[in-house]
Amino acid sequence: MISAPFDYVRANTLDEALALLAQNEDAKILAGGHSLIPAMKLRLAMPPLLVDIGRIKDLSYIREDHGQIQIGAMTTHYQIESSDLLKKICPLLPECAGHIGDVQVRNKGTIGGSVAHSDPSGDWPAAIIALNAELVAVSKNGERLVKADDFFVDLMTTALEAGEILREIRINKSNDRTGQAYAKMHHPASGFAVVGVAANLTLDRNGGCEKASIGITGVSSKAYRALAVESALTGSALDEQKIANAAAHAADGVDINGDLFASEDYRRHLAQVFTKRAIAAATERAG
Amino acid sequence: MAAKYVGKRIKRTEDPRLIKGLAHYVDDVRLPDTLHVAFVRSIYAHARITSIDVTEALKAPGVVAVYTGKDIATTVGPVPCAAALPDLKIPDYRVLATGKALFVGHPIAAVVATDRYLARDAADLISVDYEELPVAVDVEASAKGGPVIHEQFGSNIAYTLTSGEGDIEAALKSADHIVTQRMVHQRLAPVAMEGRGVLARYFPGEEELTLWSSTQIPHLMRTQVALMIGLPENKLRVITPEVGGGFGSKLNVYAEEALLAWISIQLGKPVKWIESRRENMQATIHGRAQVGTVEVGCKNDGTITGLRYNVVADLGAYHQLLTPAIPTLTGLMLSGAYRIPAIQMNVTGVFTNKMSTDAYRGAGRPEATYVVERAMDIVAAELKIDPVEVRRKNFPAKTEFPFHTATGLDYDSGDYEAALDKALNLSGYAKLRAEQAKARAAGKLIGIGMSSYVEICALGPSQAMPAGGWESATVRIEPTGTVTVLTGASPHGQGQETSFAQIAADELGVDLNAVTVIHGDTAIVQYGIGTFGSRATAVGGTAVLIAIQKLKEKAAKIAAHVLRCEASSLAFEGGRYSRPSAAAASAVSEPDVAVGEAPAGALPEPDTEGRSTLTIQEIALIAHIAKELPPDTEPGLSATYFFEPKNFTFPFGTHICVVEIDKETGETKFLRYVAVDDCGKVINPLLVDGQIHGGIVQAIGQALYEEVVYDEQGQLVTGELMDYALPKASQMPWFELDRTETPSPVNPLGVKGVGEAGTIGATPAVVNAIVDALSPYGVKHLDMPARPEAVWKLITG
Amino acid sequence: MKIEGTQELHAPRDRVYSALTNPGILQRCIPGCEALEKIGENLFAAMLKAGVGAIKGTFKGEVRLEDMRPPEHYRIVVEGKGGVGFAKGSADFDLEENDGATLIKYSGELQIGGTIAGVGQRMIQGAAKMMASRFFAALEAEVQRTTAIGEADLV
Ligand SMILES: Cc1cc2nc3c(=O)[nH]c(=O)nc-3n(C[C@H](O)[C@H](O)[C@H](O)COP(=O)(O)OP(=O)(O)OC[C@H]3O[C@@H](n4cnc5c(N)ncnc54)[C@H](O)[C@@H]3O)c2cc1C
Repeated sequence: MISAPFDYVRANTLDEALALLAQNEDAKILAGGHSLIPAMKLRLAMPPLLVDIGRIKDLSYIREDHGQIQIGAMTTHYQIESSDLLKKICPLLPECAGHIGDVQVRNKGTIGGSVAHSDPSGDWPAAIIALNAELVAVSKNGERLVKADDFFVDLMTTALEAGEILREIRINKSNDRTGQAYAKMHHPASGFAVVGVAANLTLDRNGGCEKASIGITGVSSKAYRALAVESALTGSALDEQKIANAAAHAADGVDINGDLFASEDYRRHLAQVFTKRAIAAATERAG
Repeated sequence: MAAKYVGKRIKRTEDPRLIKGLAHYVDDVRLPDTLHVAFVRSIYAHARITSIDVTEALKAPGVVAVYTGKDIATTVGPVPCAAALPDLKIPDYRVLATGKALFVGHPIAAVVATDRYLARDAADLISVDYEELPVAVDVEASAKGGPVIHEQFGSNIAYTLTSGEGDIEAALKSADHIVTQRMVHQRLAPVAMEGRGVLARYFPGEEELTLWSSTQIPHLMRTQVALMIGLPENKLRVITPEVGGGFGSKLNVYAEEALLAWISIQLGKPVKWIESRRENMQATIHGRAQVGTVEVGCKNDGTITGLRYNVVADLGAYHQLLTPAIPTLTGLMLSGAYRIPAIQMNVTGVFTNKMSTDAYRGAGRPEATYVVERAMDIVAAELKIDPVEVRRKNFPAKTEFPFHTATGLDYDSGDYEAALDKALNLSGYAKLRAEQAKARAAGKLIGIGMSSYVEICALGPSQAMPAGGWESATVRIEPTGTVTVLTGASPHGQGQETSFAQIAADELGVDLNAVTVIHGDTAIVQYGIGTFGSRATAVGGTAVLIAIQKLKEKAAKIAAHVLRCEASSLAFEGGRYSRPSAAAASAVSEPDVAVGEAPAGALPEPDTEGRSTLTIQEIALIAHIAKELPPDTEPGLSATYFFEPKNFTFPFGTHICVVEIDKETGETKFLRYVAVDDCGKVINPLLVDGQIHGGIVQAIGQALYEEVVYDEQGQLVTGELMDYALPKASQMPWFELDRTETPSPVNPLGVKGVGEAGTIGATPAVVNAIVDALSPYGVKHLDMPARPEAVWKLITG
Repeated sequence: MKIEGTQELHAPRDRVYSALTNPGILQRCIPGCEALEKIGENLFAAMLKAGVGAIKGTFKGEVRLEDMRPPEHYRIVVEGKGGVGFAKGSADFDLEENDGATLIKYSGELQIGGTIAGVGQRMIQGAAKMMASRFFAALEAEVQRTTAIGEADLV
């Protein structure tokens, strides 16, 4: 398993990385390398140049600023999994991180790399959608903000344009009536999500569902927001029946992909089951 | 012998170097000027190769040579098949494809370059034109007709064979019930952690070739590769450095091994190839791959009257070393742990456009055990009797051994009921059933499954083996008193460096640290057979024991001479020979000749004046200095023994597994796993537990996760560990292990073997548990792997 | 693998049909197609740089049009081979008039081999769908453009 030859540059600054990308349209950013390098070793990806952004200062951080959570693109899954701050103010992120691969993968892989790669079975995209995150993309021309809903375009295709680097992920802090949960079926071989559902619910003062935000990965070519589930949840108290009824819409209107492990029908069913479980867990935590 | 070490949980002496990364595998052997080989392999399952253009590759940087089928067609002999079956069709299996490619991964060209990166890059520059041919993928369809892979044979049937004793028709007729079940034993990949690897170095002056290979059978490989490349066998040395697992996949002689040897001769330089995981999935043998139907006749009380198994075996495109013989092992073990008066197996071996199947941990016996143990549960369900009782009813009693089966075997010893009872106790079976009933009433899907297996080990008497079934050992005590054991068994992870040292240390009365076990080098170790078929300890360990006994006869003669008494009157205790008169107490006060305390440059001359005892290590020194030997005694102290076993051994046991199935998703979760195994005498319980653990894990892998999948076009779609689901530690239950110990009469150690027991015993226990859990839905059987979707479909109907 | 679907294009049927059989347009519509050269009657040599995200492969092969019954049916057969393996597919296109628009029903088989088959199992369906949707999006743009500028300018 030997990749095709390539050049490697370790960028010291974001500007340097952007300049290199601008010069070479087939160049690839190297973050944790846990999606890109395997593809290169199979020669399914043969970028002529890798621009390593791992040593750029200030791309790896978790901080809270005026009610907003900011996470640097190079923050590893493990850093998120073990962040005490996030466990307190946005537990969905550490919970989701804990479901990714194994310890080695979590030590190297980054949230930015995962989101930019947008593997159809990757875990982060579900959480990013459920948290209504905003993604900060930078290029030579400056920065722009992309909403989670606009970010995931198609199979391993995002709103990032050639020459753009994902710099930061921003999430608005939720209030104390919020409950979050991630429910996943792990593929027995890869560990990726056969189905992964991130639920982020806010209850009103009477225990009714004020806001529901559900992101689902693994089912289709890209992670998506389960709009029909959200609207079925919003506005009333959540009991078992209500949750089950809402979860039944988990894959409404979605173009489901089947594979060796799970057919389209089974995936649709799993989407419903894990949506129900994620919502039930989130409801309990919100209460 | 005094058991100071045997029977104790002694940590493996191999482990520190393995854990610290200090061990040497083939890839760690670095020789100057080594060239590296990369292969171009077929991307089609069945295609005529119309042209191969190597011009660009030859021009690429670092490339030294490119070889294709036409270069080796007449210079390197075919990949050998050692299995002898009546009317067996054996295709000509060249080390590079000549004319046609017959499976995805079939090597077509070998690029040799100055480093492995350049070799790999150049491989991409070779352009192969193919004319696609229709494929034979499904084994049952290929048995009946469709595209023929080897035209010269006219069909894809490599052989048909009927085995078994007794009148099966009458036996089935006499039954009150006949149950029939089709079962699929899916294709599995052994996936040793270290893939294959070969380094070949030819010295043109000496005309000597050294081949380092990650193999289980260095000596057999030497013989076969010497024949393939036409080199005198004594000019070829095979070295097996550390081997990172084999599970049978390295009990073989592969195309790459002979080809690299030949290339090294062509180029006069060392050449190396290290298999990638992708190549490992495509071009290292697979296992299992049988589809069969079992018919079992039984009386109303559960007595089995007969068993017939009609099976097609998916052999793949060619025969590797033992390919066609593996299903015959299935036939041998179809009696399981039971008295079955009539048994018949009808097997059809079928060529398909896939990688060859061959021995994978268990090799034919897991299939038999699965058939029999599933059948027992199906019978129990049919008769509405507890599966425990059906088994108990048909066990031979422990007094009936040696027990003759209708498959033609004589089981050496056994007490099947004892193992069953112990497992029932350990699991709290009655309580489990009560809990299950309660859980069921609450809507939960709990299943209890069991398997009472017998397996055939210690392969085996040479009469039953293609190339010798004995094993060899040489034991030597060096002048300084260290003990060297040379074993022909070639362990590759089993821990025989520890267990054989335990046997030797106890038998010689020396410290464990004084013993070094050497294996895996044909220039150092006398000819041997290898490690496979759970044979190393039962056959190889016995060879060590008997070699030591021979050595001790000589040592005693020397001791008697020096101590001036009759050899027969000597006592041997704690490594020390004592004159009959010497009180045990005086032995302690005798000065030891301190080994290693000799003045620089000189051997310590033992002062034998007036001694009444001598240690065996002192005797070794005396034997080497050779001044005080009895007349007509050869100097030196070593002995060699080739042990030929008279029979196989038959380990057994009962495994009980409890699972819970998630009704909504079909996922299986383990609640308990209990295993009581009997592998005869135990040399090292820690090693035995380790073998059982690993075996159960691989069995669970088959039951729940693993399957090599080729699509309709013969494309291997589980080509990586992203899709081929190996079991992971996090998915495994806690193993509750116990043992019974029924010594084997076949060898003086009383050992039976344990390398494959877990893999053989556990698979049906797991599937039986799942079927039991699903029985409220009327489920009678479920093929492996029990993927959640398949289970979910059974639940939802 | 089976690929099936329907797609509505907002252009009259004969225009869609002629676009679907026009090598210049096909080249622009087939995702990643860098060259499509006529080498025989309804037979073209193709160079394809296809991929999704970071995964990319170069394929060389042929495109063949068969069973042509303008304006309602034809079959397209594509074969390509490259470092990552091969892809082979054929699809039948049935065109129906639908109130001034055209309904395309397509149904075909895709077969892949080599590395992409061995390691891409879980992505293949998604990738095929994505290629199809890109193809039709481009085709829609092409038929709109050609409707606007007239058949004569077709290249
Ligand atoms: C054995 C194994 C198991 C795994 N299991 C899981 C799992 O269960 N769930 C899961 O979600 N993932 C899993 N992964 C994937 C893992 O999470 C990867 O780390 C992640 O998908 C990619 O992150 P990375 O930092 O490694 O990115 P890289 O591999 O370095 O990059 C991936 C792609 O994104 C681009 N990229 C990276 N960073 C940026 C950026 N800041 N801006 C723009 N483009 C960028 C790269 O150019 C490349 O194309 C697994 C991986 C392995 C090897």
